[in-house]
Amino acid sequence: MSIELITFIAMVAVFLLGCFAAKLPVSISMVLSAIAGSLVGGHGIAVRHLVEGMFSYVDTILVIATAMIFMKVIQESGALDAIASVIIERFHKVPALMLCMIMLIIMFPGMITGSSTASVLSAGSIMAPVLMLMGVPMLETAGILAMGGVLGMIAPPTNIPAMVIGAGIDIPYSGFGLPLSLLTFPLAFLFVLMFGYKHVKKMNYLEVQAKLNTESRKKFGFKVYIPLVLAIVLMTLTKLVPSFSIGMPLVFLISAVVGCFTGYKINLLKVSKDSVNSVLPVMGILMGVGMFIQIMTLTGVRGFIVTFCMSLPAWARYIAIAISMPLFGAVSSFGSASVLGVPFLLTFLAQDEIIVASALSLIAGLGDMMPPTALAGIFAAQVVGMEKYTPVLKKCLIPCLIIIVWGLLFIAGANILEPFIILG
Amino acid sequence: MGKKNYISAALCLVVAIVIMVGTGKNFLAAREVPLPEKGPSVTEVKMLSDWFDGLKDTNGDTPVYVLKGEKEGGAALVLGGTHANEPSGYMSAFTFIETAVVEAGTVYVIPYTNHSAMTHNDPGEGNIQYFTIPTQSGERTFRFGSRATNPIDQWPDPDVYVHYPSNQQLSGSETRNINRAYPGRPDGNLTEKMAYGVAELIRTENVGITFDLHEASPEYPVINATVAHQNAMDIASEGCIELLLGGIDMALEQSPTNFHGLTHRELGDFTDTMAILMETANASQGRLRGASGVEQVIGGLDRFYEINEDLGMLYVPFDENGHPIEERCGRHLQGIYEYIAAYNNANPDDAIIYSGVPGYDELFLNADPATLGGAHLGSFLK
Repeated sequence: MSIELITFIAMVAVFLLGCFAAKLPVSISMVLSAIAGSLVGGHGIAVRHLVEGMFSYVDTILVIATAMIFMKVIQESGALDAIASVIIERFHKVPALMLCMIMLIIMFPGMITGSSTASVLSAGSIMAPVLMLMGVPMLETAGILAMGGVLGMIAPPTNIPAMVIGAGIDIPYSGFGLPLSLLTFPLAFLFVLMFGYKHVKKMNYLEVQAKLNTESRKKFGFKVYIPLVLAIVLMTLTKLVPSFSIGMPLVFLISAVVGCFTGYKINLLKVSKDSVNSVLPVMGILMGVGMFIQIMTLTGVRGFIVTFCMSLPAWARYIAIAISMPLFGAVSSFGSASVLGVPFLLTFLAQDEIIVASALSLIAGLGDMMPPTALAGIFAAQVVGMEKYTPVLKKCLIPCLIIIVWGLLFIAGANILEPFIILG
Repeated sequence: MGKKNYISAALCLVVAIVIMVGTGKNFLAAREVPLPEKGPSVTEVKMLSDWFDGLKDTNGDTPVYVLKGEKEGGAALVLGGTHANEPSGYMSAFTFIETAVVEAGTVYVIPYTNHSAMTHNDPGEGNIQYFTIPTQSGERTFRFGSRATNPIDQWPDPDVYVHYPSNQQLSGSETRNINRAYPGRPDGNLTEKMAYGVAELIRTENVGITFDLHEASPEYPVINATVAHQNAMDIASEGCIELLLGGIDMALEQSPTNFHGLTHRELGDFTDTMAILMETANASQGRLRGASGVEQVIGGLDRFYEINEDLGMLYVPFDENGHPIEERCGRHLQGIYEYIAAYNNANPDDAIIYSGVPGYDELFLNADPATLGGAHLGSFLK
C-alpha cells in the first residue's frame, strides 16, 4: 500500500471520527484531518501549510458573509414581502411561465458572479417566500433554490469552473455561451417544473392573496425595492464595465447599507453580527477545506487520486467523471474543476474542447451539492428556514443524476454537436 | 459566558496569536528574495522603474541586469521568473548573469520578471518555499514562488479577467498572471504595470530579440517547445534546426493570434522585438504530481509522473531520471544561444555576441549524473 493511500485513509478516518464519534464541528474535523495527513505524510504539523491553505477561500468567505448580511437586511426592511406579493399578483394566472421566470431570477446572480452562494442568498431568498406562498412546500422550494444556484453558477456569461478548466490548457473563455446555455437552461426549467408545477397549478389565489404581506409596499412604495435594484445594477455594471469591478462583497455591503434607509428601521450592527454568526460554520468549513486540500497536495494524495482516475480505461473515465468530480467537489467545486477537470479534458482532446470543458464544468458544479461544504444545499435550507440540509440533498438526488447524465451526453457527443453549437 | 468558557477562549486566542506571529514571520521573510551575483559583463544593475516610473516603490519593481559588450551591437532581453514557480526560468537568468562575457551588443536580463510573485506561494498547492544548492562560494538558497502576483500587492481578483486591449475573458485569477497581462498599461493594475514596464524597456532600448523562459507540467501539450511570434518565425526555425541537430528535442509553434496577453503574442504586436518563449518540463507543476519536495523541484523527479508516462498522459518522456534542473536550464541557455546566432545571421549589423554561458552539453549531457539535481548547476554559479 502506498504512503499516499495510507495518508488518504488516515485523513478520511480522522475526519469521520471527528464528525461522527467525537461530534466535533465539520470545520474542526477537517483541520484535525489535515493535521493527521501532515503527520502521516511525514511533514510533522506543517503549520505554514495549514495557514497558507486556510487562505485559499478567503474571497469566497467574504462573499458569503456579505451576501448573508444583504439577505437579512432586505428581509427585515420589508423588501422581500413587497416583491413576493407583486410577483404573485401579476403572474399567478400563468403558473408554468411564472415558475420558469422565478428560476431565471434565482439563477441571475450566479450567472453574473459565477457563485451559487450569491444566487441562493440573494435572488433565492427573494423568491423563496414567493414559491412557498404559492403552495410549493418548504423542501421543494429549497430544492429549486439549490438547483437554481448550481445551474446559475454554470450558466453563461460567467462560469468560473469552465474558465479554470480552460485556463489549464490555455483555451480563452470565448465560444462557451451556447454550449453552457444548452447545458443549463433546459435543465433549470425541467427542475423547477418537476419540483413546483404540481403544487402551483392547484393554487387557490384568493387564499394566497389573503396571506400576502403588502404593508411594506404600501408604506414605503418603490423605495423599498431600491437595495434590490441597486444590487442588480452593481452586479451588472461589474460585468459590463471591467474597470468598475468592485467585487461581490462590496456590492452586497453597499446594497445592505442602502437597505437600512429604504424600509423598516434596521440596526445594521446587530443584523451583521447575527448574519456572520449564522454563516460562521460554513466559513469555518471553507477554512478547513483549504487546509485539507493543501495537505492533500503536499503529501501527494491529490496526485494519487488524479492518477488513479486517469489510469482507468477509456469507457470507465465517464464513470470516473460522474463519481470523482462531484465527490471532489465536496471539497470545492472550483477545486474539482481545477484538479480533475483539467486532466479529464486532456484525456478528451480528440473531442471539441469547448463542449467538453463546458460539460465538465457542469458536473464540477455539483460539488456545491456535496457535503460537507454543499454550499448551495446548506444555504437553500437556511433560506427556507430548515434546520438540516440533508433532506434538501436527498430531494435533489434525481436532478443531480440528470445533470451528470446530461453532462456526459455532451462529452460523448461533443464532435457531433460541435458544428451546431460552436459559433465562429 | 461562564468562567470555563473564558479560559478556553483565552487559550484559543493565545494559540492563534502564537501561530499568527510564527507564520507571519515566515511569510514576511519570503519577501526577501536572493539576487544574482554580478558576472564579468554586468555593467549596471538598474530597476524596471527606470523605464516606467509607475513601478517605483512597489513590489512589482525588479532589478534589470545590464550586460554591455565593448563593441556596438544589438540588444537582447532575457525574462526569467515570469512565473516564479518555474525555477529553470530564473535559474537560467541567474546563470546567464553570473557567467556571460558579452563581446558585442547589450543583453538585459530580468531574473524576476514578476518580482511580486516571488514573495509568496500559491495557497492549495503545498509548494516548498526555498531550495538550497552548493555553489562556488558555498551553499546558496533560492526562493520558489507563485505563478501569480502576491495578493498582498494586488487584491481582490475580479470574477472574470478581461484582458486589455483585446477584451479576451479569462478566469479572474489570471488577472495576476503577468503572462496574460501584456502589453500592459501605465494606469492598470500592478501586473499590467509590470508588463508595461517590460514593453517600455523593449521600446526604449530597441531590443531586437526577447526571450521568455518558462516551464510547464509534463501533461501540458506545449512543452519542450518554442513559441514564437510570426515576425520571429524565420529566426526561430533556423535556431530550432540547430537545437535539433544538437540533440535537443524542441518543437516550434507560431504564436496563436487569438490567445492574448502572452509575451510571444503581445510583445511582437506592440513592440518591434522578436518575441520567443521557451518551455521545459517541470515535475513540480501540474495535477498529476506526487508529494512536494526539493527533489521534485530541482531534481525533476516524480513517481506519479513515471506512472502517468506509462498511461500515455504526458507530452514529454518521463522516467526514473526525471528532468533535473541542469537539463531544463541547459535547454533554455542553449536555446538563447542558437536563436541569438540565427538573429545575428539575419542582422549582422546588430549582432549580439557573448560567450562563457554553459549550454546543454556542459550543463547536462557531459555532467556526472550523480551531480545532477542542483550541484552541477551550482558549480557554474558564484
